[in-house]
Amino acid sequence: MKDLHTPGPVSRPVPRAVNWNRLQDDKDLEVWNRLTSNFWLPEKVPLSNDIQSWSQLTEDEQTLTIRVFTGLTLLDTIQNTVGAPALMADAATPHEEAVLSNIAFMEAVHARSYSSVFSTLCNTAEVDEAFRWSQENPHLQAKSRLILDEYDATGSPLKRKVASVFLESFLFYSGFYLPMHWSSRARLTNTADLIRLIIRDEAIHGYYIGYKFQRALEHVTEAERAEIKDFAFSLMFDLYDIEGRYTEQLYDGLGLTEDVKHFLHYNANKALQNLGYEALFPDEATRVNPAILAALSPGSDENHDFFSGSGSSYVIGKAVATEDEDWAF
Amino acid sequence: MLDSDVKPSGAAASEFAGLDHHALNAMLNLYDAEGNIRFDADRMAARQYFLRHVNQNTVFFHSLDEKLGYLVEEGYYDAAVLDQYSRNFQRAIWDAAFAAKFRFPTFLGAFKYYTSYTLKTRDGQRYLERYEDRVVMVALTLARGDEALAMRLMEEMLAGRFQPATPTFLNAGKKARGEFVSCFLLRLEDNMESIGRGINSALQLSKRGGGVALMLTNIREYGAPIKGIENQSSGVIPVMKLLEDSFSYANQLGARQGAGAVYLHAHHPDILRFLDTKRENADEKIRIKTLSLGVVIPDITFELAKKNEEMYLFSPHDVERVYGCAFSEISVTEKYHEMVDDARIRKRKINARAFFQTLAEIQFESGYPYIMFEDTVNRANPIAGRITMSNLCSEILQVAEPSEFDEDLGYARMGTDISCNLGSLNIAKVMDGGDLGASVGAAIRALSAVSEMSAINAVPSIRKGNEESHAIGLGQMNLHGFLARERIHYGSPEGIEFTSVYFAAVAYHALAESNRLAVEHGRSFKGFEASAYADGSFFETYVTRDWLPESDTVVALFDRFGIALPSRDDWAELRERVMATGLWNRNLQAVPPTGSISYINNATASIHPITAKIEIRKEGKIGRVYYPAPYMTNDNLEFYRDAYQIGPEAIIDTYAAATEHVDQGLSLTLFFPAEATTRDINRAQIYAWRRGIKTIYYIRLRQAALEGTEVQGCVSCSL
Repeated sequence: MKDLHTPGPVSRPVPRAVNWNRLQDDKDLEVWNRLTSNFWLPEKVPLSNDIQSWSQLTEDEQTLTIRVFTGLTLLDTIQNTVGAPALMADAATPHEEAVLSNIAFMEAVHARSYSSVFSTLCNTAEVDEAFRWSQENPHLQAKSRLILDEYDATGSPLKRKVASVFLESFLFYSGFYLPMHWSSRARLTNTADLIRLIIRDEAIHGYYIGYKFQRALEHVTEAERAEIKDFAFSLMFDLYDIEGRYTEQLYDGLGLTEDVKHFLHYNANKALQNLGYEALFPDEATRVNPAILAALSPGSDENHDFFSGSGSSYVIGKAVATEDEDWAF
Repeated sequence: MLDSDVKPSGAAASEFAGLDHHALNAMLNLYDAEGNIRFDADRMAARQYFLRHVNQNTVFFHSLDEKLGYLVEEGYYDAAVLDQYSRNFQRAIWDAAFAAKFRFPTFLGAFKYYTSYTLKTRDGQRYLERYEDRVVMVALTLARGDEALAMRLMEEMLAGRFQPATPTFLNAGKKARGEFVSCFLLRLEDNMESIGRGINSALQLSKRGGGVALMLTNIREYGAPIKGIENQSSGVIPVMKLLEDSFSYANQLGARQGAGAVYLHAHHPDILRFLDTKRENADEKIRIKTLSLGVVIPDITFELAKKNEEMYLFSPHDVERVYGCAFSEISVTEKYHEMVDDARIRKRKINARAFFQTLAEIQFESGYPYIMFEDTVNRANPIAGRITMSNLCSEILQVAEPSEFDEDLGYARMGTDISCNLGSLNIAKVMDGGDLGASVGAAIRALSAVSEMSAINAVPSIRKGNEESHAIGLGQMNLHGFLARERIHYGSPEGIEFTSVYFAAVAYHALAESNRLAVEHGRSFKGFEASAYADGSFFETYVTRDWLPESDTVVALFDRFGIALPSRDDWAELRERVMATGLWNRNLQAVPPTGSISYINNATASIHPITAKIEIRKEGKIGRVYYPAPYMTNDNLEFYRDAYQIGPEAIIDTYAAATEHVDQGLSLTLFFPAEATTRDINRAQIYAWRRGIKTIYYIRLRQAALEGTEVQGCVSCSL
């Protein structure tokens, strides 16, 4: 039996109990509140309403859709199991750690959601085939590798955040394009609702991690700042290069590649903006098809009829008891 | 069909180049560089849609004769409808319709019409009708050979003054068609025969295209005895599961899923389980996804909550044994203390305020349940008997009678269930038309025709209810659009005054027309003698005070459009006529939420405020499409504050003014920002109940995008 009084070589200090009534950064609470009120599970969305619509897609369109979703599943898995936990170690406040643990969990929910889509719409062989495809796809593997290398690199919390924002705010969107495209054409509209819930989450994740990056940047020297910026842009170039080829491979068949690339430019700028950097692509290169851009709106003011599913609008509310004055009648 | 005036100018032209109609329409949701809403993009979208899609996919005919000959021969049109009219009259009505030069003002209006309403070839690829064709066929069908009425109905519909509800507008005149009726309400009683027959009815009615609501109040609670053996009943949840699956199964040839609602009384012991089915984290076994929920709340529940007391829940099984009638037939407010003191009735209690808070929590998460204020509804009911439930849109409020079944599910005693066919007037267009009485009269005749032509044989209790009552529901839409066009704010004193005067006048004309129909038929609806119409008491509020405009603004408004309003003497005269010669329709008005038809009709929905300047509409068939509020320009945006900005009180005040003059209900949705709490929702519910609102439909929340995460330049993101 081990001597309880002799600390082992890797024993960590006992963390301080997190006190939400003493905030170092108000943003932590604001984001925590938003994320928790946005909590959802895929069971909420009546995906089975899309079965008929799914059967009207051509075989190529179905294959593309499944592949895109396995690609997204991989990114969510990375963010759930590696990305968010890696960021937790770098957290500047205990509340940030708590927010990151929520982010990690919701990434797992997202990864789970794609499987809900699969089990509702597709047969097992098609899905297994697509997962195999994602394991073997060189572009998907390459971009995962680039991000993972930054997560694993020792000693650079700033670079981890850059990689994480690029994943959240840029890499996902080549995949998100497709369900938004389908829904603007009245296909897979309930699946699109589910994806919109994911987009609603990822938008906040990218924004929050970018915000923490900018706070952290305030504490380093001018030289380090310049180095990080070089790093960020160079990583963006590398990722963009891969994304371009990944996009061509996926979307050439549908003739959508040019439009998806505009969407990539738009989101690359958005990711850089989250980090506090200037835009990389000029405005004319970011002219996204309005049908896609308008569909992204994470606000919850969509109007739908009860024949067509739940929409992506409801949130978990704040319960406050009524007082006597409310019942004064 | 194509509006040739719409041409993009200069800079816009290049911006629009190469975009298809979906992309052009979506530009509505994105501001231009100067921060203006791009209405021109939407008009271009409609134009592109006709040029590139509709015109290229419409079957061409050389003449009307050729067209009608083909459509009848191929079994698309019902020859029986056309044969009621001479060929000359057919030509005359079609010529008159096309001469009106109808145009769709928005992309969504056109897109929705061609996607969901117009007659298509059987492979769904080519269009066989223009909008004018559809309107004429509806008019010919409903006029049943009366040429003058057919012409009148055609004019009312084509001018946009009267719009029949979807099932009528979609189906009339077609050979292979669904029912004309929108909506059905069924009672379930506390026995397996009634539940089984109810599920069968739900399947049959869904197949025919209607929304179905069922009342679960009388079903015994979880743990109640069966045949005297304790802890046997599994309560209302498994029945809800069966119904939910039934509605998904009956999906009208895949066109759309069936839709259903269930209503439960607040004092039913399963009430919290019932609500928990909509929880975000509910177990799959009990989770209800697509079935809509409604709760029936009596006055006593508010009184108990006021005193912060417990509320008792009563076993329907025991109540039925003690009182000899179903739980739903008891006024809980009246019998509450008697039942509390009666040892034969099993009961449990929950805190009344906690109940209201739970209600609001579930509404936050799911938008449900709807609420029916039981005592308010029954106090305002001019018909003998109790109203115990509402429907899928919470605007139908009618009396039903229970049925009793034999072992083989035949009727031992056939009761009556409820159906309702709906149609709405476009307030702005009716005001423009200048003759409110004529528009209301035509609408009442059209809706009565639907009732007279309908016989739902699959559910005999529904058929019987319809035959006896000729119940119809005339609704209204475009209130906000009209007020904004006239530069009056929704919910302002003038807006509320207009609403009150307008609805009182509609009630007058609706009753007058129903009385004329009773004279023509030589009889009234069944039960007229026992109604508040027969003894004249219904008219008390109309003959003891004026319902005329008082403020200069509203007086001038009615003057400007030349609308004559009924005086106290007119009402007194109508009272005498009704008491002497009766009414044809047991129910006349009900204000539905008007989704699809308000887009086609270019109206704001119902009498609600707009939900957004540019509304995002999502449906299975059309995908995500953007809709600009009617009559909105970049210069009158201030009158288009949306429902979230206007807030619940002004909406409730507006509805309260209308409710006084509507014999059934009005679908009233309440809107809150996501920062609201359950307390805010509870306060709005209390306010609504106090103001005499009959039902509350959805609770809707809008969450603003977190600063920094919004899509740049997006109209629907900017609050």
